[in-house]
Amino acid sequence: MTAPIPRDIPLPLPAPEGFLEVLLVAAFLVHIIFVHLMLGGSLFSLVCQIKGLKTPDYEKLAYRIMQTVTVNKSLAVVMGVAPLLIINTLYAPQFYASSALIGDMWMAVIPMVTLAFLLAYLHKFWWHHFINIPELHIGIAALETGLFLFIPLIFMTNVNLMLFPEYWPEVKGFFSAMLLPNVLQRYLHFLSASILFTALFLVWWTGRKTFQQEAHFSESHIIISMRRFFYAFAFGATIFQILTGLIVLASLPAQGMSWHFIMLLILGGSSALPAIGWMWQNLTRSTHLIDDNFKQIIACFAFATLIMGIARHDYRENALADHKAAIVEKTANYMAAVKEAGEQAQQAAKTQERQASVPGESAFNQNCAACHHATLPTVGPALQEIKALYADNPSGIIAWTKAPGKKRPDSMTMPGFAQLSDAQLTAISHYILSH
Amino acid sequence: MDFPIFHIDFIGNRLLIAVDAILHVLINHAFAVGALPVVALLEFFGMRSKDPRWDNLAYRLLKIIFILTTTVGALTGVGIWFSAALVNPAAIGSLIRVFFWGWFTEWIVFVCEVSLIMAYFLSWQTAKRSPESKLKHLRLGIFLAAFSWITMAIIVAILGFMMDPGSWLTERTLLSGVLNPMYFPQLALRTTLAMVMGGITMICLTYLYTRNDREFRTLVTSAISRWSGAWLVGLILASIWYYQVIPDHMLANIPVAFATQEYVRWNGRLKVLLIVGLIYVGRILWVSVKRPGQVHGAKYLLSAVLLFAMLGQFERVREFIRKPFIIGNYMYANGIRVEDYPLLQRDGILQHATYAGIREITADNQASAGREVFEQACTRCHTVNGVNSIRAQLKNMYGDKPWQSEAIAAYVENMHGARYFMPPFPGNKAELNALAVYLASLQKRAAAFNGVQINGIPKPDHISTSISYGNLPHLATPHGEHH
Repeated sequence: MTAPIPRDIPLPLPAPEGFLEVLLVAAFLVHIIFVHLMLGGSLFSLVCQIKGLKTPDYEKLAYRIMQTVTVNKSLAVVMGVAPLLIINTLYAPQFYASSALIGDMWMAVIPMVTLAFLLAYLHKFWWHHFINIPELHIGIAALETGLFLFIPLIFMTNVNLMLFPEYWPEVKGFFSAMLLPNVLQRYLHFLSASILFTALFLVWWTGRKTFQQEAHFSESHIIISMRRFFYAFAFGATIFQILTGLIVLASLPAQGMSWHFIMLLILGGSSALPAIGWMWQNLTRSTHLIDDNFKQIIACFAFATLIMGIARHDYRENALADHKAAIVEKTANYMAAVKEAGEQAQQAAKTQERQASVPGESAFNQNCAACHHATLPTVGPALQEIKALYADNPSGIIAWTKAPGKKRPDSMTMPGFAQLSDAQLTAISHYILSH
Repeated sequence: MDFPIFHIDFIGNRLLIAVDAILHVLINHAFAVGALPVVALLEFFGMRSKDPRWDNLAYRLLKIIFILTTTVGALTGVGIWFSAALVNPAAIGSLIRVFFWGWFTEWIVFVCEVSLIMAYFLSWQTAKRSPESKLKHLRLGIFLAAFSWITMAIIVAILGFMMDPGSWLTERTLLSGVLNPMYFPQLALRTTLAMVMGGITMICLTYLYTRNDREFRTLVTSAISRWSGAWLVGLILASIWYYQVIPDHMLANIPVAFATQEYVRWNGRLKVLLIVGLIYVGRILWVSVKRPGQVHGAKYLLSAVLLFAMLGQFERVREFIRKPFIIGNYMYANGIRVEDYPLLQRDGILQHATYAGIREITADNQASAGREVFEQACTRCHTVNGVNSIRAQLKNMYGDKPWQSEAIAAYVENMHGARYFMPPFPGNKAELNALAVYLASLQKRAAAFNGVQINGIPKPDHISTSISYGNLPHLATPHGEHH
């Protein structure tokens, strides 16, 4: 199995490659945080809404969470533009190829995200209209959450496919690319990160002093159990995150593996370990509170996320290193060939110029030859026919060209040629008759 | 041509981008650039008059703007990136390399714009608690309107620049785009048009929201009509300026005489539309100021439609100058650089297309090789059976007479002379004949034409896996390896 090696776009990068890579990792992390909060928020809002059927305060909580979703989703989109721009710049031969290979699903991202966003607004702004029709109310939330769950899978498929050019010839459409090794594992890893980040975000968000005033719960101490609810999810998601992370690692294709990459993973993974210890204590020991060491926990996860973001880029660079080098070489060869052929063509044009040309020939070729063939009736009549019609009458050709009409019922009308001078027309008419 | 070819044969690739872009521009002009100042204005009237109806209406208008711009508006903007990258990656990839920092700046302004609209909309109710906070809130609205205009001003510079064949090749910086003589007249026309569009669109929405309060409706429509009327005067001046600068400048850039005639005709159509539209909209606004409340809602709606049509025609004229290029004098609409032509015409396009399935043309494979040539050279604009279908073109030319491949080859070889908007044929003679055989075969039967998103790419052969190119020697490095 060998990879196709395309050529790169033969224009210089707008900034040093390393600088663009740093920018890519940073911009991507900002984007992905908001994606996590959007997707996780939508999931938690749905879960709380269902819980709210029994415990009405959870329905109020669901409404509050929904208000964060519509803000985070807008930030997820705007923050996504920068990484998209940089990926387009740095990985044009790979990213455009993988996008085209899953083209219809890739394009469908736009209407699907639009629809999900409109559903999110419908859900939020008409919350109190639908509240007494729980099937519809929950149905809208489920549809919106379903779309939010599916869309990242398309992105995941694309960024995975771009890493492995040797798989491209096997791919026939989105679903075959989705089933390539590692996509679904990475997707699960992504999903548990969404739950982890959002759960931690909600622990903080519901812990603010003003939260009871905003949400108007029937009893204010319910907030404590709500926060424990999210905290438990955060802890569970962390464990799940480690397990899926190990599965992803085990199933990663060897192309991008390196010790450097493994060291980064160990560094990132181990920096989350203290957070797990603190979270376990806070959950299980009655002497500890949810808020204990909260800042440290966030710092651990933030550091781990940063390292994982760098590791992710490291793997990509490793996986594509040979392909990129081959592309650079092929592009240079191609450009050299372009130059050579260009010079040849210039020489040929000069030689042709030196040979005396028949008057009217070039004007004829430029303006008439497309429709008038020497012997065949094409768009217009053949030259044979014209010659028979206007034998010894070149001015007839000139008159017709100046004011053309429609002679033949099954042909197109000839356009006017006001741009041609009388001298050119005369030369053309003589050329036609003597040809 | 060196990317796997995405193709949708029914609606066509160009229409995919067009639908997305038109939707984006309409929302941007009528609901963002032109509408946000109106919302801030209504908020201001509410603060001055202490009448809560102004404030409530402004909030309801902003809600529609907020929902539309942060969903369809924002996503169609991203959609332009998605669709352009699928349809013509060579072109968008080249533009990104050159205008990266322009787009990056635009993105930063865009982030500010989105943050501001969220802050403006979401803090509307809480800002009512004191006059000071209300004043701060109004200031947010003015900032928002300004940022929304700046995003447009930046993108107009990029657009104008990629259309201008002269400076692209020599300078390639954003600043020379702004200093381009076409920039300011275009920006003036677009700004004033957007302001009038936004005003009238907001009047139309106001009609929906004031069904039960005729007296207030009169007040509001009169106020917005004054505002829009003032911008309409600006629009008239901007149109005059545009017509004094642009046609001459554009005509100077058109190389083919045929295109000149056509351009004059297109521009004439825009002129007629502008004059008729401006007179009609001007009259409606005049009556609306003089005798507020007496103009039927449908007339505002018709005005809005006329303004949308003007904008549409303006965009078409702007796009016109581009042809047959996608980037002036650098790359043709088929995604092939002007510089590539001598090589491709000498060796053949199939020798250099990494993802082509057939390399050598024989007597037996002419039609299928021709299909590959069609895929490489024609499908960025033409479909087989859908929009801008090649079958319909051929039928228009040859009718029901048998389509002859010799005649088609003779036409395609020279068509750029007679059809100024067509790029020259990029391949060699054998490929031209193969293409003609394929095209002639379409008279009787046309197999479904799918892009790589359905068919995938062919198994890589010696050309696509080699780091030299085609069957030619290694030229870039001194120790050439020969294939």
